[in-house]
Amino acid sequence: MRKVSFLALIIATLPVLVQAADLRVPLSSAAGQPMTVGITGTGDGVLYLIGPAHIIKRSVRLDRETSVVIKGEELRTSGRWIAVLRSGDSSQTQVFWVTPAKPENLSFLARPSRVPVDRRGVISGMAFVFDAYQNFVLQPAPVAFSLSVGGSSASQTVTSRNGVAWVSSSSARKAGPAQFVATLGETSVRRVVQQVASDPCNLRIHVVQQGKSGVVVETDPVRDCTGNPVPDGTIVTFTQTDSAGRSTVDARIRKGIARAELPTAGDAQIAVAAGVVLGNELHVGGRK
Amino acid sequence: MKLVRAVWLMISVLLLLYGVPILRQIFADTKPAVQLNADRAAPRQVDEGVQQAIARDYAAAWQTLEAAVNANQPAALNEYFVGLALDKLTGRIRDQQSLGLRTRIIDRGHKVDALFYSVDGSAMELRDTASIETQILEGNTVIHSDNAQVQYYVVMTGAEDHWKVRVLESIPTKAD
Repeated sequence: MRKVSFLALIIATLPVLVQAADLRVPLSSAAGQPMTVGITGTGDGVLYLIGPAHIIKRSVRLDRETSVVIKGEELRTSGRWIAVLRSGDSSQTQVFWVTPAKPENLSFLARPSRVPVDRRGVISGMAFVFDAYQNFVLQPAPVAFSLSVGGSSASQTVTSRNGVAWVSSSSARKAGPAQFVATLGETSVRRVVQQVASDPCNLRIHVVQQGKSGVVVETDPVRDCTGNPVPDGTIVTFTQTDSAGRSTVDARIRKGIARAELPTAGDAQIAVAAGVVLGNELHVGGRK
Repeated sequence: MKLVRAVWLMISVLLLLYGVPILRQIFADTKPAVQLNADRAAPRQVDEGVQQAIARDYAAAWQTLEAAVNANQPAALNEYFVGLALDKLTGRIRDQQSLGLRTRIIDRGHKVDALFYSVDGSAMELRDTASIETQILEGNTVIHSDNAQVQYYVVMTGAEDHWKVRVLESIPTKAD
């Protein structure tokens, strides 16, 4: 009977003697805000807060009720965190969440970096929304996009969805560096999209000089269909067809004009092309 | 008869000694299962080839992540992570190293929806419902273990010849 009583006493007091530490973490906190972790227990322990980008470690003295304050600057990364309290050989754990702060930053991708003028929907911009601590923010946020070149500009405000806002835009009629800007609140991110002349338009050649050894032909100033000069270095192909056969000269545009010297003997026909664009044809050495 | 029994016993012992580690190695090299649904991706449709590439590279990214956090080797992440995702995971592994911790992830698969595919085809946003068991180890002692469905928002961008994870953000599910 005594043995049974003693055993019952031991069983009754056991929970008090081996009282495990208790860990209380708020289920959700905001990034950058301080957080208090409540701990109950006895003896010494170690508290780990294991987050997506870093780990916080605290040595704690478990005197019944203990509060551990985690500073806001330590709790910057949003996502799934795990709190682990080590006390002797035992562990108490709890999963908690840190939510992103308010949207403040943008990651802005603009494509392409170089684009022909006057093309529909060729420029795309996408902005990913982050908070001040580089956490991805899924809550909708208004992002303003503006594209300006040479005094003309177009702008559009798009509300982000699942952290992404995007626009698709046409290139302007005027060549030059276009400023593509995405703005969220006070934060603006700028990208430059170089708008270049499109394919040549109304490509025309004329004879500059004609002699016994050959003929020199050159283009009129080469422009695209909206009047922008086609960049120097663009290749213009001159093709001469005569009784001896066909000969071709590739010449680069210099100062807006391409020029070629062709060895003609008798009647010849000279044609000009740049890329897929064909220009006028000339007859030399006979009837024009 | 005794000889046959002895041979069988020897074979069994050898299988236990060498077979189990080999099987473990084989399973460790297996990529996690990724089930991708790209039906609702916008504004651009995701063609079959891109879907296969995304599923393949996202699975490889998780395989790399699991190996890196278990062995505390951040350099392994470079192959499939870039930008913020790489910075954050590297920070976590460095802290693990300095505190004598490591993480073992037992991956039970990912159900992934493509949400956004950029007009120029250079970026994709995914929502992943991952079934994973997470164990935190201090030395060789497991100090935490949980089995959960975790939702991730992921941004992947095209790299040299494959896709890399640029953003990996976990958010609570409705059950949390």
